[in-house]
Amino acid sequence: MTDTSLMLAGLVVGIIFGFVLQRGRFCMNSAFRDIVLMKEYTLLKAVAMAIVVQMIGFHLMATMGYIQLNPKTFYWGAMIFGGFIFGIGMVLAAGCASGTTYRVGEGMVGSFVALLGFMIGGLVTKGGALKDLTLYLQPTEGALKAITTENAGPYVGNANLTLANVFGLDPWILVVIIAGVVLAVLVWKRGGEETKAEGTLYEKIFKTGWNWWITGIIVGIIGIIAFYTFQNYALGISGGWFGFLNALITGELPRLGSGMLNWFTFLVIGVVIGAAVAAVIAGEFKFRAPDAKRLLQQFVGGVLMGIGAVVGTACNIGHILSGVPQLALSSILGGAFIILGCWVAAYIMFMRG
Amino acid sequence: MSSDVKPTETLDVRGEVCPYPDVKTQKKVKKMKSGEILEVILDYPLSAERIPRSVEKMGHEILKTEKTGTGEWRILIKIK
Repeated sequence: MTDTSLMLAGLVVGIIFGFVLQRGRFCMNSAFRDIVLMKEYTLLKAVAMAIVVQMIGFHLMATMGYIQLNPKTFYWGAMIFGGFIFGIGMVLAAGCASGTTYRVGEGMVGSFVALLGFMIGGLVTKGGALKDLTLYLQPTEGALKAITTENAGPYVGNANLTLANVFGLDPWILVVIIAGVVLAVLVWKRGGEETKAEGTLYEKIFKTGWNWWITGIIVGIIGIIAFYTFQNYALGISGGWFGFLNALITGELPRLGSGMLNWFTFLVIGVVIGAAVAAVIAGEFKFRAPDAKRLLQQFVGGVLMGIGAVVGTACNIGHILSGVPQLALSSILGGAFIILGCWVAAYIMFMRG
Repeated sequence: MSSDVKPTETLDVRGEVCPYPDVKTQKKVKKMKSGEILEVILDYPLSAERIPRSVEKMGHEILKTEKTGTGEWRILIKIK
C-alpha cells in the first residue's frame, strides 16, 4: 500500500476502534485491576472474548494465506521487567494504553497528561537516556528462537517462539482447545451484569454502554481487519504514540524499523477522534480534570508505561490483545507480567488497611 | 418518588479518575448506618455503570441512577 492509503486506512480503522472502545468502556487496566479490587469480571470477559475471536480469525486468515502471523521476539528479561513496570504504570495513570487513548477523546485531562508522560517515557527509553536499558534487556544475540520450524503452519518464515512451535504442535490444536475452553467458561459465567438498557436500537448503540460480549466480538473483528489491512501486525497503541511525538520533533513522517509507514500513529489519532465522536453523541464528552496531585500521579504512571512498553516491546494492546491470539510466548509472558504489575500496584494503592 | 428522597450525605467525586469514584463510594458506604441514603455525584462513565453493580453486590439498594447532564450522573444509594 502507498503511504497515503496506509494513512487513511489507519485513520479509518482507528476511528472505528475508538468508537467501540468508548462505547464498550474497553480498558484492560480496569479489566485486570477490578478482578482483585472489586471482584468485577465484566471487562475481563470482554477482553477474553476479543482474544478468542482474534485467535480464531488470525489463524483462519493465515491458513488461507491472507496474512502471515508475526509473533514478537522473545526476550525473557525484557518481557518480565517491561511488563511489570507497564502494569504498575497503568494503575497510576488510571488507564492502559488504549484506555488512556480513548479517554483523551472523552475530554479527560488527566488521561491527556498521562499520555504526554507515556510518549516522553517511551522516546527516552527508545533512543534517549534510558536506551542502554533497552539494549541490555533486548540483546541482539540473546533472543530465544524456535529450534525447528516444522509444523510451523501459519507461522512460516517466523521462528519466534509460540506455544505451538515450542511444543512442536500444530497451532490449530491449541487454537481449538483454548478457544473452546474460554468460550465455554464465558457462556457458563455469562452472569447478570448486562446493561439492562431499554429503548430503541439507536439508543442502545449510541447512548448506553455496550454489553461485554458485543464489545469483545467487535474489538476482535476490528483486530482481524487491522491485521488484514496493515499485514505486518494487528492492533497496537504504544508504537503509534511514540511515532507521533517523534514525528512532531523530527518533522518527518513516522516510520517503522523496516522503513514502512508507521500506520499505528494514524490508528491512535483515529482512536481519539472515534472516541470523541462516540462521547459527544452519547452526551458523555466533558472536559474534566482531577486535582494537581492526581495529575502528577497520572503523569508518573504514563512515564512508567512508556518505559515498560519500549523495554517489553509492546503495551497491553500489542501483547495481550494482538500477541496472545498469535500464541506468541513473548506476549504471553509480557502480558502475564503486565497483569502482575497491575495487581501489585492496585494492592498497594487501594487495598491495604 | 425517589427524587423526593433527601440524601443523608453527598459524595462529590467529579473530576476523579478510575477507580477512585468506586473506591471512595465503597469506603463511604461502609461507614454509613443502615437506612441512611448516600448521594454520589460523578462524571466518569465507567463508574456510573460499575458503582450500582458493585453496591448492589454489597447488599445495598440503588434507589436511582440518573444522568443529570452532559457527562454527569447522580446515584442514590440506600444503606441496608
